[in-house]
Amino acid sequence: MGVKAKLYPKEAARLLREKPGVREAVTGATLHFEQGRKKAYGEIDAEAWRERAKRVKDHLLSHLDHYLELAEKRLREKGVQVHWAEGPEEAHRILREVVARHGVKRAVKAKSMLTEELGVNPLLESLGVEVYETDLGEYLIQLLGEPPSHIVGPAIHLALSEIQRLFHGRFGTPLDASPEALAAVARKVLREAFLTAELGISGANFLVAETGTLALMENEGNIRLSTSLPRVHVAFVGIEKLLPRLADLALFLPLTARAATGQRLSTYVSLIQGPSREEEEGPKEVHVVLVDHGRTTLLHDPEAWEVLRCLRCGACLNACPVYRQTGGHPYGYVYSGPIGAVLDPGLLGLEDTYPLPYASTLCGACYEACPVKIPIPKLLLTWRNRAVERGLAPTWEKGAIKAFSQVMQSPSLYRLFSKALRGLPLPQDLLPLLKAWTEGRGPLKPSPKPFHELWQELEE
Amino acid sequence: MDTRSRILSRIRQALRERPRALLPEHPHPALSQDPLELFLKRLAENGAEGHLLDEEGVRRLLANLAQGLAGAAYGKGVPAAFRLLPELPPEEAPLGVSRALFAVAETGTVALSSEDGRKAQLLPPVHLVLVGEEKVYPSLLEAFLDLKSLPSALGLHSGPSKSADIGQVMVKGVHGPGRLVVAVLQGTW
Ligand code: SF4
Repeated sequence: MGVKAKLYPKEAARLLREKPGVREAVTGATLHFEQGRKKAYGEIDAEAWRERAKRVKDHLLSHLDHYLELAEKRLREKGVQVHWAEGPEEAHRILREVVARHGVKRAVKAKSMLTEELGVNPLLESLGVEVYETDLGEYLIQLLGEPPSHIVGPAIHLALSEIQRLFHGRFGTPLDASPEALAAVARKVLREAFLTAELGISGANFLVAETGTLALMENEGNIRLSTSLPRVHVAFVGIEKLLPRLADLALFLPLTARAATGQRLSTYVSLIQGPSREEEEGPKEVHVVLVDHGRTTLLHDPEAWEVLRCLRCGACLNACPVYRQTGGHPYGYVYSGPIGAVLDPGLLGLEDTYPLPYASTLCGACYEACPVKIPIPKLLLTWRNRAVERGLAPTWEKGAIKAFSQVMQSPSLYRLFSKALRGLPLPQDLLPLLKAWTEGRGPLKPSPKPFHELWQELEE
Repeated sequence: MDTRSRILSRIRQALRERPRALLPEHPHPALSQDPLELFLKRLAENGAEGHLLDEEGVRRLLANLAQGLAGAAYGKGVPAAFRLLPELPPEEAPLGVSRALFAVAETGTVALSSEDGRKAQLLPPVHLVLVGEEKVYPSLLEAFLDLKSLPSALGLHSGPSKSADIGQVMVKGVHGPGRLVVAVLQGTW
């Protein structure tokens, strides 16, 4: 597929040099999300919710063939046209047919990471279809021609001033226009698009097998509009996105919202059972495209399969001290941050992505945040080991990782080592992985206090 | 082999050696505090307005909302007694009035059926939702377990449309209504 993950530290250094405002914007937004999650987790028995969710997903994945067939049956009974796609090629063929049959000139899109994976926008553009991303953040980055920087908040890396400049150039709004005024302009443009588009495109947060229900979560209302106003709706669904029963949504909708944005439930949830019925408003034709694109390969992987539980809530990004410095762009693929670092090698192959598992401090915050308890730090080490075994990463890593993971697994060893390290000077060239990062910066200085002590002080 | 069979057979192969995980039962829904009280509290926390009213109260609320408005868009289930304003198409109406299928206390949510109509729920800047007090479930789980049949689309609305995508500043009414008012009707309805 020709995607090559970039060397994160190098890209990160370049990004921070070229766009000094990014760190502030991303750190601010992720800290805000992270505080929301912590508060929301504090209201519930988070451990019990996460364990339940993990178990439901593990059951689902260990009976995936059964549930896929059940979902397909239920969807068909409700008049949904079900398609299967290995990857972009087949997904494109299905979409091309829909566009041709309905003479689609304009499409409205609800933000979806899977459609980013599949390159749906470039395809539609090549067919002469005008595509509008309708999530405000996604619309901004579409205007800028950038990929999303965050799974949930695709435009968190943009400062207000940048958006003011963008809209000034595009729509002639004043350079000091308020966020309200800017949103009003976007609303006007997109409202027109909703009312005139022939096609609505979405992903899905969940697909309930028992009832054939597509569940979509959002706060703006653009997904409800995209799936209600155009006469055709096409939903792309990763085959791992299933849930067994309708009542499972009562756990997964609030858990995802709490993990992602700290809400008890997202403002809008659309539960879609098929095309509109006689005398009803809504699309007359609904298509569901079940997409593999690397997921079955991951299912085969005895160590890495657990990543298939992922709900794409973005909590691990918000918790990650590395991601917080730069946002998603330096990772070089649609999935960034901790989840990207363990999902991308599985989806795209390690040859193209081996630098990603190194873009982490292995601090474990991603695991604590994850609503389905994906052991991200363990998986990072798995992929690093494989990179070394296949000769993709420098060999000195091998010993270092082994020692490192031993140290990390023992609190007393960890304390001993961090104490010893703090006593040493840190020669820059002894830290080859940090070289790209440290270029253009002052020398690294060890902290006088170990992190766990600082952390405790912060918590108090 | 077609794509479907190929994907399914790869899955079966992958699962051959995987232990089968059991599906946990649903928990027994815990009886929380008075659902009506909790519902109104949660609505307020979500940035919506909630009122517990009798029929006369709803008409007063409507008259209040209707001041200076040319008309409203109505969901199919809204009774004639509550159609105080002339009907306008949802694209033009300054107010949408709809009737919820049910509501959920713990999350401050109204559930709106496509059978009632979708445009009146989404296009006007202000949205008034009517719901009977006996339709307020304590929890999402109880509501889902009780659902007998599903409409072609069910929208769960838990507050006004909002976004923080522009400079992390919360803006209301981005695509959907910027104001959500919920009237819980006392008595059977
Ligand atoms: S790995 Fe976990 S925390 Fe990260 S996006 Fe997926 S579900 Fe959310």
